[in-house]
Amino acid sequence: MAKTYDYLFKLLLIGDSGVGKTCILFRFSEDAFNTTFISTIGIDFKIRTIELDGKKIKLQIWDTAGQERFRTITTAYYRGAMGIMLVYDITQEKSFENIKNWIRNIEENASADVEKMLLGNKCELNEKRQVSRERGEQLAVEYGIKFMETSAKASINVEEAFLTLASDIKAKMEKRMEANNPPKGGHQLKQNDHRKAESWLSRCSLL
Amino acid sequence: MSQESSVTSEILNEKNKQEVRCRFCNSLMLKEQEGTYESKQFDLPLTHQKNTKDINTIETESLSDFWVINDMFTFENIGFSNTVDKRKFLICADCDMGPVGYHDIDTKKCYVALKRVHHGKEPAKTLTNNS
Repeated sequence: MAKTYDYLFKLLLIGDSGVGKTCILFRFSEDAFNTTFISTIGIDFKIRTIELDGKKIKLQIWDTAGQERFRTITTAYYRGAMGIMLVYDITQEKSFENIKNWIRNIEENASADVEKMLLGNKCELNEKRQVSRERGEQLAVEYGIKFMETSAKASINVEEAFLTLASDIKAKMEKRMEANNPPKGGHQLKQNDHRKAESWLSRCSLL
Repeated sequence: MSQESSVTSEILNEKNKQEVRCRFCNSLMLKEQEGTYESKQFDLPLTHQKNTKDINTIETESLSDFWVINDMFTFENIGFSNTVDKRKFLICADCDMGPVGYHDIDTKKCYVALKRVHHGKEPAKTLTNNS
């Protein structure tokens, strides 16, 4: 059967326990949902479909399922990962400091060209903030990766973050394909970053 | 409308005539004509377990109408539970409600119960979480 999509990206969420990774991926609220069959057995991964520049992209998103408690994540988990969301909690200084350790863990275990992005989560809790936005931005610059503050609880920037990461992976892949199959004649590469400018803060309900 | 005729009316060319969506939040799970109808009996756990203390007694419901999806990436949006007895249960990717069906690890096929999802583009009529 013909594939109904153009790309499939495997993405991981990584960071200390309690930074809200699970909330970014899963939305168990505090009400009745907590007594369901599913909340008892737990969730493994999700598949989401997005569209970028007319291309249909399937995202397979995994949470670390508590492995992060051991302060390290095994190579098996990183296998095939094309994008990683590094998540800290803006109200927990320690979770921010540990991002450096997580990046080292990624460098040791994941594929060298995995696309990374830094997320300062729980940005709805501004009154409890311990990590300024500037420090987040600075760390991201240091590692040459993108940065966003998100709120899984208030649904701020979560979808946007996934779209950005997916867009960067796609751009990287297309660049590589272009390099492998050089176009004939004076073909010009299309700039495909037009989406970002229009909706950095806006959000809809895809993710 | 009887149960049988409502099932028949959802089938076109042995596949789902309309989009398959979450009954609770209307999240799009499957586009039209992506799932193949199969009549088979399966005991799917209830969304809400009355007895939450004893994990060994899972309350199920016998269901017989399913959409079969051979490749999990055919879904638009869907969630997978952890594995229990060589199966993963399928849930809504947006509100986590479910199971709406299951994934068989051996055959890699996914089964979505017609009774656990909404068919069509219009949001389902007001539903409570008691299913």
